[in-house]
Amino acid sequence: MSELVDRNVATPEASLPGGLADVRPGLVPETPADRDPRRGTEPLWRSLTHGRGLVGAVLVGIVVLLGALAPVLAPFAPDDQLDASFLLGPSSTHWLGTDDVNRDVLSRVLFGIRADLVIVFVAVPVGAILGSLIGLVAGIRGYTDVVAQRVFDVILAFPALVLAIALTAVLGPGVRAIVLVIVLAEIPVFGRLIRTSVLEVRELPYVEAAVVSGASIGWVLRKHVLPNSIEPLGVQLALSMSIAVFIEGAMSFLGIGVVPPTPSLGSILSDGNRYLETNPLFAVGPLVVVSLLTLGFLLISQAFAHARRL
Amino acid sequence: MVTYLARRLPSAVLVLFLASLLIFAILRLVPGSPEETLAGADASPEQLAAVRADLGLDRPLVAQYLSWLGSLFRFDLGKSYIVGGSIGDLIAYGAQNTVVLAASALLIAVVYALVVSTASVIFRNRLLDAVVTVNNSIAAALPIFITGTLLVLVFGILWPILPSGGTPPDGFLTRPDIAAQYLILPAITLAIPAGAALTRFLVEALHTELRQPYVVTAQSIGVSRRRIVLAHALPNALPSVLTVLGLTVGGLLGGAVLVESIFVWPGLGLLTEEAINSRDYPLVQVLLVLSVAVFVVLQLLTDVAHAWLDPRIRLGGQA
Repeated sequence: MSELVDRNVATPEASLPGGLADVRPGLVPETPADRDPRRGTEPLWRSLTHGRGLVGAVLVGIVVLLGALAPVLAPFAPDDQLDASFLLGPSSTHWLGTDDVNRDVLSRVLFGIRADLVIVFVAVPVGAILGSLIGLVAGIRGYTDVVAQRVFDVILAFPALVLAIALTAVLGPGVRAIVLVIVLAEIPVFGRLIRTSVLEVRELPYVEAAVVSGASIGWVLRKHVLPNSIEPLGVQLALSMSIAVFIEGAMSFLGIGVVPPTPSLGSILSDGNRYLETNPLFAVGPLVVVSLLTLGFLLISQAFAHARRL
Repeated sequence: MVTYLARRLPSAVLVLFLASLLIFAILRLVPGSPEETLAGADASPEQLAAVRADLGLDRPLVAQYLSWLGSLFRFDLGKSYIVGGSIGDLIAYGAQNTVVLAASALLIAVVYALVVSTASVIFRNRLLDAVVTVNNSIAAALPIFITGTLLVLVFGILWPILPSGGTPPDGFLTRPDIAAQYLILPAITLAIPAGAALTRFLVEALHTELRQPYVVTAQSIGVSRRRIVLAHALPNALPSVLTVLGLTVGGLLGGAVLVESIFVWPGLGLLTEEAINSRDYPLVQVLLVLSVAVFVVLQLLTDVAHAWLDPRIRLGGQA
């Protein structure tokens, strides 16, 4: 029985009453290791060289390589319609078989990775930078804060899919619409993150001391806010990239994704879903790549969260 | 409580108002004039005129917006130009199917979360902990359309014991046993992320409760661990999890859109997909307003439940 008590006298931070409220929905699932009070002292990127971080980096790295080398690796052109190859099963010429319009699925998957990578590595950083800038300004100037918070509320009140449908109706479907949806959806996420950082740092005694001694806003932001928020930023960035892959797939399933004949992982998966009985690999191919990508980003995010030195 | 509501309500109304403005603007921002978009490119001038009169497009924009808003409140939604039929009927039919799907998923998720989290806290079993960890990771790493596709592939095609899509041919009530077969795969797909999230919060809340002094007292007078968890810790842990339930339901409704698309389940999600693909903008607009309204109401309910349970929020300055 005493074992029960011992086991549950956990770390001081976990026993705080706010412990539960800190766990944000959708954020990295907590494992016992995350509650370890001994924070690492290594820089963030080094968590990619071992454990979960390494696995995540390797998974993402493989997919990036496959996408980058698509023109070399792909046996056919992605929109090449071949003779007499309607929904063939896997064979030595077509490793993943062919699709419903006689194209080689493997080649389409390889080129489809490129669309997803562009979306992930353009939209998420742009949203992160815009959101962070707005969050910075909101954290410093009180009146902009009120406006920014209400705007964030409105964006967050739209479920991401509603936002996607509305924007696509206006812009027309395509990579542009997907990127815009992700940027818009990420702005409030990063905005809130940085704003909280600024508000926290502002109250720290040594920052107040710096301000009293005449430090400029720029100095405080560069020397105090930035170092304090770079790590949560890294965690969120990796997590948002995982979500971006998900949003691309979700939009493709709704028929508002990348416009055919351009391949994207989500659109191939969504098409392949209708022919599971004839050629299961039509869907399984993109499915595996999407899983590798989301899992890889998630592991990186977890490794970052674990390595935080805050 | 009333003062808290009075403080919280205006921001909910503001969000709804702004959202309705944006959604109203869609039809005006789509390339081409609204009546051409709705009647199709090869419509005759008479058809265009009919659509124009029907929508009141000759009136000022503000008047159009107000009458659109009014028709939403009266639930007099007009007819769908492209999908066909009355929008109200389409939505009622879809909502019924979506509610069946989401409610089944919620039931599965809640039962799963209650059983697994209490069991893992009572028995402190490595195997159970591993199950929880694996399910949490799957739910976090694999998008819902991946788990759905995998379930169809395994249980619908490789080992065909369940239908891989569609709705029961005789409806839900005449043959409940057959209806359950059609429901089980989509409901489980939808329940996986919700169940994982609820389990995570419940385990966390139970562990927090088990650190309370009254648990030590109960132990020292010899109450069994099972009784401590089920009779004492669980009732105290539930309220904090209740507030997460609002988010969970929101997530379920969002996920339902994708699940319906995968399993060809004729709910609001499939209706949305159909409306988008056929460019039936009036229908899209109503569906968007509906989903934003549902989300705003869910958030409001969550906050109110939270405030009701936690006086610090109800009475404090910051919600």
